[in-house]
Amino acid sequence: MSKHRCYIQGSAAISAQPTFDGDFFSAPLTTTSANNLVAMEPDYKAFIPPNSLRRMSRMLKMGLTTALKAVQNSGQPSPDVIITGTGKGSLSDTEKFIRDIEAYKESALNPTPFIQSTYNSVNGLIALQQKSTGYNNTFVHRGFSFENALLDSLLQLAEGNVQRTLTGAFEEMTAEHFYIKSRIGFWKEATIGNAALFEHNTPGSISGEGSTFFLLGNDKTPHAEAVITGMKMLYKPSAEALNKALPQFLQKHDIQPGDIDLVITGRNGDINTDHYYRVLFSAHCPHTPEVPFKQLCGEHDTAGAFAVWLAAQILKRRALPAILQPYVSHLPKTFRRVLIYNHFIGEQHTFFLLERV
Amino acid sequence: MEALKLKLKEQIIEALNLQDTKPEDIDDNAPLFGEGLGLDSIDSLELMVLLERQYGIKVEDPREGRKILASVQSMAEFIQSKQPA
Repeated sequence: MSKHRCYIQGSAAISAQPTFDGDFFSAPLTTTSANNLVAMEPDYKAFIPPNSLRRMSRMLKMGLTTALKAVQNSGQPSPDVIITGTGKGSLSDTEKFIRDIEAYKESALNPTPFIQSTYNSVNGLIALQQKSTGYNNTFVHRGFSFENALLDSLLQLAEGNVQRTLTGAFEEMTAEHFYIKSRIGFWKEATIGNAALFEHNTPGSISGEGSTFFLLGNDKTPHAEAVITGMKMLYKPSAEALNKALPQFLQKHDIQPGDIDLVITGRNGDINTDHYYRVLFSAHCPHTPEVPFKQLCGEHDTAGAFAVWLAAQILKRRALPAILQPYVSHLPKTFRRVLIYNHFIGEQHTFFLLERV
Repeated sequence: MEALKLKLKEQIIEALNLQDTKPEDIDDNAPLFGEGLGLDSIDSLELMVLLERQYGIKVEDPREGRKILASVQSMAEFIQSKQPA
């Protein structure tokens, strides 16, 4: 991406932590004794009429509510376009529909789970609520789903075709999907919980879910939280390519490693893939405070969206949440610039650069 | 007939997830769509599925469906007419 400055005019996040309506900055870590972090769901009735709510599945309620809260928090009018990313969409609807196909021999299938199992159903609901008839797209690219949604938004804003984009990501975990992923080694064999995520030198991580939305625009608005100044995606980079990519990324944005106040990484306790973070930052930013974020939200395809939300809140508050302070030996002197590095199972790697408003 | 209507109301509440609605809140002759329960076109498809799954009745003609799904009374009469004597 170029040096275009994209303002996060408002945001909202539903996660396993009290990020939606709690005091996230002073709250203790919400823990799980299992290997999956479950999102804390708010009271949806404040956002969605009861007659609409009754039909919506969990993922739709989470996605729509987060989107509406992000717009509300921005204090801005409805977005011109709606762009989201999801790795799996509404899994519970997909599973119900597939189960019914088998149970009822491909006949007498309920329309609701089918409609809601499509990836873009959250976008459709948001558009109906916001009376938005503009561009509406959902990217489904595993660990690059949110990143492509954000890229699309940044490009549209940079071209000046739109004033505001509603950009977000949503993901849910089900028991069936957790089991499937456990069979291919996604999760730790021992049950460890999120509080001890980095204490076990073993393969795998813990699962997560959540929904994160941003109202993005070219203008600095009264409630603007942070500025997204850069993003770089790398697919299955070699060690050499990755090692070159970070200094090139920083150089492109005219900054030195010393200009970064805080690094947020997607470390997830998996010994097979956490070395990417260690190698890269010991080589290029050895003295910059670094905090991981997946002990808060768990591993999932669109966890990068949570990292961007976290960085924006840190820059807005100019403070580090209490639950992240134990990870740094010293607090950053200032909170002007945050670098995020996240990868999904060592395949999809992304750098995000955010600055304070 | 009364037992069938009560059962049907319970099934409608469950199938459509009509929270805070009890069988006694549904008038036998009140319209299910528009006024009354305020159901919509997706609900009508859900009710078609209900008839097929619970009573083994498939409504082939959509115009016929409009009349059948008008109220709990009309649904119950239709089910009864399809059941063996």
